[in-house]
Amino acid sequence: MSLSSLLLPAVLFFALGVIARLIKSDLKFPPDLAKVLSIYLLMAIGLHGGYELAKADIAVAFQSIVWALILGFTLPIIGYLALVATRKVNPLDAAAISAHYGSVSAGTFLTAIAYLDNLSVEYETYPLIMLAVMESPAIVVGLILAAKARQTIAARDGLAKSTPDEASAEKSNFKEMLRDAFTNGSVVVLIGSMIIGAIADPSGMDKLKPFIDEIFMGVLCLFLFDMGMVAARRIGDFKQVGIVLAAFGVVMPLVGGVVGVYVGASMLDFSVGGAMLVGVLGASASYIAVPPAMRLAVPEANPSFYLTLSLGITFPFNVIVGIPLYHALAKAMVG
Amino acid sequence: MVSLYSEKMLNIISNDSLEEKLICMFKKYGVSGYTILTARGEGSSGYVSDMSGFDTNILVKVILPESRMQVILESVERKIKKGHHLTVYITNVEVISPEKFAKKNG
Repeated sequence: MSLSSLLLPAVLFFALGVIARLIKSDLKFPPDLAKVLSIYLLMAIGLHGGYELAKADIAVAFQSIVWALILGFTLPIIGYLALVATRKVNPLDAAAISAHYGSVSAGTFLTAIAYLDNLSVEYETYPLIMLAVMESPAIVVGLILAAKARQTIAARDGLAKSTPDEASAEKSNFKEMLRDAFTNGSVVVLIGSMIIGAIADPSGMDKLKPFIDEIFMGVLCLFLFDMGMVAARRIGDFKQVGIVLAAFGVVMPLVGGVVGVYVGASMLDFSVGGAMLVGVLGASASYIAVPPAMRLAVPEANPSFYLTLSLGITFPFNVIVGIPLYHALAKAMVG
Repeated sequence: MVSLYSEKMLNIISNDSLEEKLICMFKKYGVSGYTILTARGEGSSGYVSDMSGFDTNILVKVILPESRMQVILESVERKIKKGHHLTVYITNVEVISPEKFAKKNG
């Protein structure tokens, strides 16, 4: 792992955010800043990707979507089984946590792109479609796992089954959650911007260049600066989650990263850069789309567990250690 | 001298992901209005900050006649039983225009 990867301005700003929090600096960003910045980042990357994808091979794009769905549905199940096997969390917590690991973190993905750009490594734009596709399936899997877990707990405790009224309310809640999963803000911004990028007049797109390209890295630095402070706030909860769960926050991204790089390199025949990006998708855990979905659908689960794991452990791990690691892995697999 | 009328104020501290559900519930029971503020703090479900807009709490305030409070409280209680972390308390308030709070929506 080269030191230059850690000396990326965006990563250094992330570290500055962590340090600012640890030394108890009075630095404070306006509320919602990271949300605003992430809308910009998704919009810029979406416009850029859509423009490139308009020239892309439809068959490969379709294959990428299929593999994104497979990853999105499989990874949370692997995570759930691993968590249940540790016997450190109840099945409802396991369902909520694993949903985060099947979904993706756009912040990690964008840091990976900054990393590749810094090393002048070429990459395919298909992983961008995968980023949009992988936001939601894990939420669906999380809901199904939670429903199963509730049945198991009810059977174990000898509780009565839900009344027909309760069952129909649960069903309509489930439908509502499904709709929310596929229409969440990140998905709408990313897919919408990709479509605009693909169909917009190229001369109009040229005028957007300063917005899409030139300020992108600066905004990413600001975003990661803020996220460093958010992550550091969660690192403090490390003791609450315990060593086994904290270890899950490091091991699960490694498992997802290996699976992702393998899919990118062997199944999709991507270059080193493309395979690494699929690895990052497999490795990252959501902190924007999934937490509110789990708060609503699995209120019994402890939010401290999944927020600390995804924001306080997995996100910093991927940004600092994971990305260069998945790059090395992609180099070894693609050859 | 302005006349004052006694009413009840329902206060709910909740995660913002429940905002839509709470509003639906108020509308269902004919609440004439509500006020929502962003909130942060720490409690049984851990620390919740408004930092960066992720995982924010809200404080919902609704003023209504005591006679209409019970049905809403029952609905809130059902949510708590489902596992949602809600902090609920009621305060006595005095208002100058009670007709504002008695009127049902729609």
